[in-house]
Amino acid sequence: MPSSELDNLVRIGQLKAEPYAQSEFDGLVRSGSVRLKDAQDAHLSPESRFDLAYNAAHAFSLAALRRHGYRSESRYIVFQCLTHTLHLPAEQWRVLEQAHRKRNLAEYEGDGVVDEALLAALIRITVAVFDRLTTLKKS
Amino acid sequence: MPNLGIKIPNMGITAIHRRTSGQHAGRKMAPRPPPGLAAALFTGTQQRVLGLLFGQPDRSFFATEIIGLAGAGSGSVQRELARLADSGLVTVSRVGNQKHYQANAASPVFAELRGLMLKTTGLAEPLREALAPLIARIACAFVYGSIAKGGDTAASDIDVMIVSVDLSLEDVFTALASAEARLGRKINPTLYTRSEFRRRRAAGNAFLTKVLDGEKIMLIGSDDALV
Repeated sequence: MPSSELDNLVRIGQLKAEPYAQSEFDGLVRSGSVRLKDAQDAHLSPESRFDLAYNAAHAFSLAALRRHGYRSESRYIVFQCLTHTLHLPAEQWRVLEQAHRKRNLAEYEGDGVVDEALLAALIRITVAVFDRLTTLKKS
Repeated sequence: MPNLGIKIPNMGITAIHRRTSGQHAGRKMAPRPPPGLAAALFTGTQQRVLGLLFGQPDRSFFATEIIGLAGAGSGSVQRELARLADSGLVTVSRVGNQKHYQANAASPVFAELRGLMLKTTGLAEPLREALAPLIARIACAFVYGSIAKGGDTAASDIDVMIVSVDLSLEDVFTALASAEARLGRKINPTLYTRSEFRRRRAAGNAFLTKVLDGEKIMLIGSDDALV
């Protein structure tokens, strides 16, 4: 599934082309699904739920990128590619971008307080990414 | 049964009458909202050109960029830029065969014009208009951070805090997209529910305390809503 937008990113060194591997794809979907399920557990702390949902969103997004035959080590780029890999609407991708930024602030600056609105949106969008990924898997 | 058939159209007519008279009454009672503050002072093109240049004084713009972002006619924008450059309000530098325009920070009215533009067309008005469809669901909204303080650079996002009843972050991003396009700048919204906002303020949350103690440009609601 080559894409001209994604090929452009390869040309400028933002992405690597790498043949799709079914076992890797299945592994990412499995790991994302487990985390997403746990992220929805309201008994856990918001901080843990945020980390789980964020990592689930990344696993699904990377799976979509791998399905198209590309890879990136940068989480930001993996999320950014969702516009092309899964045609994720802009307002949904922006939530992931904000989650990515918050996660970096928490990891590197110790600002670990998670907003309810962001956590709720992140979980909703991770579910939406998973749903889109499932359609991609079938096609 | 046939009576019902007769009644239904009658109800329709009454409803139409009522709505029309209601509209008239509403027009008499509530005066039209005042035009934007900037509209009373500047022409449409002036508002847009000044809004871009003084809303983002750290950035220089090509003429074509200003024409595109302002959505105004090329001729009228060019005339405005020439006037601004002649007066020294705006500086012009040549890069290759292109002219770059930038707000002149050394102008004696720079700070006043910048303040005016931030409160009107250069920032607050596009944001207010973008949030208008959600206004019933917003308790208060304001700009904070480097832009409100005036310490922003060309790379700074517009930090907006929104305290709402039931909005989702996706609703907010969707609504703000038009303002991002108009201002040519990214907006970073922080969304709280009213209860979360109160709880955090009561707990002395470091981020919120810093935001509330800092400079703010109110968009919806008033400072009182924060107390």
